[in-house]
Amino acid sequence: MEHSIKISKEACQGCVNCIRVCPTEAIRVVKGEISIIDELCVDCGECLRACGRSALGIYEDDWNKIKESSPVNIIADPSFFAQFCHYPKPDNLEEVLLSLGFNTLIDEAEDAFDLAAYAIAQFINRSPKTSLPVISVYCPSVLRLIQTKFPELLPRIVPVLSPLEIAGTLWRMKTNSDVPLTLLAPCPAKITMAREPQSKNLFPLTNGVTVRRVARSIMAEGDIHVESKAVHKKRNNRWIQWARRYGEARHVQAFSDRKLTVLAVSGMNNTLDILQELELGRLRGVDFIECRVCDTGCVGGVGTADSRFLANLRLINMETEWEITPKELSRVEELYAMDIWSITKEYQPRPRLPLSDNVADAMVKLQQMKEIYNGLPHIDCGSCGRPSCQAMAEEIVRGNGSVTDCIFKLRDGISALANQIVKLSESQPHTFKREGKK
Amino acid sequence: MGAPVCMEYRIEGNDFMEAGAASNNIKKTLKMLGIESAICTRAAIVTYEAEINLVIHANGGMLKAVISEDKIEITAEDKGPGIPDIKKAMTEGFTTASNQAREMGFGAGMGLPNIKRNSDAFEIESTLGVGTVMKSTVFFNKK
Repeated sequence: MEHSIKISKEACQGCVNCIRVCPTEAIRVVKGEISIIDELCVDCGECLRACGRSALGIYEDDWNKIKESSPVNIIADPSFFAQFCHYPKPDNLEEVLLSLGFNTLIDEAEDAFDLAAYAIAQFINRSPKTSLPVISVYCPSVLRLIQTKFPELLPRIVPVLSPLEIAGTLWRMKTNSDVPLTLLAPCPAKITMAREPQSKNLFPLTNGVTVRRVARSIMAEGDIHVESKAVHKKRNNRWIQWARRYGEARHVQAFSDRKLTVLAVSGMNNTLDILQELELGRLRGVDFIECRVCDTGCVGGVGTADSRFLANLRLINMETEWEITPKELSRVEELYAMDIWSITKEYQPRPRLPLSDNVADAMVKLQQMKEIYNGLPHIDCGSCGRPSCQAMAEEIVRGNGSVTDCIFKLRDGISALANQIVKLSESQPHTFKREGKK
Repeated sequence: MGAPVCMEYRIEGNDFMEAGAASNNIKKTLKMLGIESAICTRAAIVTYEAEINLVIHANGGMLKAVISEDKIEITAEDKGPGIPDIKKAMTEGFTTASNQAREMGFGAGMGLPNIKRNSDAFEIESTLGVGTVMKSTVFFNKK
């Protein structure tokens, strides 16, 4: 599975902070260097947060090169609009971006997010009660978590493309062009999405750079004053609210005829908990679940520039028009009919490999694993390069590693050996005189 | 044929925070054995509901899972108050859970019916004042 986590081997000291926070246990330290098991990585960025040495980063395209090209076409993640204290209103930022020579796809984004929210509302209303709640995967890491850890939930995923992709498609249809389009993404997961789109034949997004990179380069320009104030039209800002928790659910509600029961959670632990509760069938009576692996939502992404708390506050204070006008409704119905919003590839599970492809054999290995595990110290220190003693026992039976990778086992071995050496040194040949005997 | 894998958990009464750990573990183990994910989920639901029952009603007890090549057998055993009317307890929506449990979102009267629905074989025996033993079996190669 492709991911956008970059490792700097020079900066990595081989500490084990990252391997212990990884929710899918995808990281190992081998010979003093970290490595990521690509199939397990869900691009959540928890490892980046845990690394104190900046040894982990986001693999993004080169913004300096992109911004020199002309024209620069960008589609900005909603979180981008919450990064600037200079420009608390999206309108101001829109003008600034224009004055810097960037063509930002805001009309398309407004349309695409309206369309996605409308399509989700339609899907919920069409779904029989037994298949509710359905779950949004606007957060690409949530999709990957479901694929790897909760494959039973795949049928509950709303089959609607990411509005960021839809916006790209709309723009390509309108302009009929194949010039590069750059996504400003708040996290590695959305950068991967730009590289590995879910949509049909089009490759709507070309490049992915972080919100942080672009926001910082704009901040570096200082306070930009823009002369004309009347060029833009009135914005409803609904789509920007998707950057905070509950924004998407609120938008879906705006297009729904009945009052929806929604759960909106953010943060990795909450996301894992809610997915588990859903799998256990505990969430009856809920219509829609919105979850984001980053705390507070996309403004909490590892690739953002400003404090997630301030960014969240700006979104709360942002004027947002939730009332859908008849004109907007007919526009969204027209787009809905075009079928540019639904997924075309079915989401496939990505389960972990079993211990063996034969149950009897796997059971033997499981017993061995249990025995190995029982001999380990159970403190999950990470010194063996694995996230836990359990993971270590599993790798040994899979043939990757030995018990002496555990420093405690190694120490036990050395101490046993040392004792033996002392014992051997005490035994003397019979011809030697005993000490103390004259 | 390998020896069956046994997993045993002591479940504490009224400990709502810990509920779910055993079920999670059992699901993980089944997945490692390469059992189809729909079956894993059914076994996880049975274990989870049994665990919750021990927490809410029985003031704790033992949860045991025995995995063999073709099935998983889940046994929940307690020395709780016992169930006066099993037939009634098997009815959806019937509950005797405490207010505390219900405030936490448990005790909706779906536990036992849910276990039965997800089991291929199911038995329950209860004696007032002595305790309850519940056994559920899920086969691996049966839908």
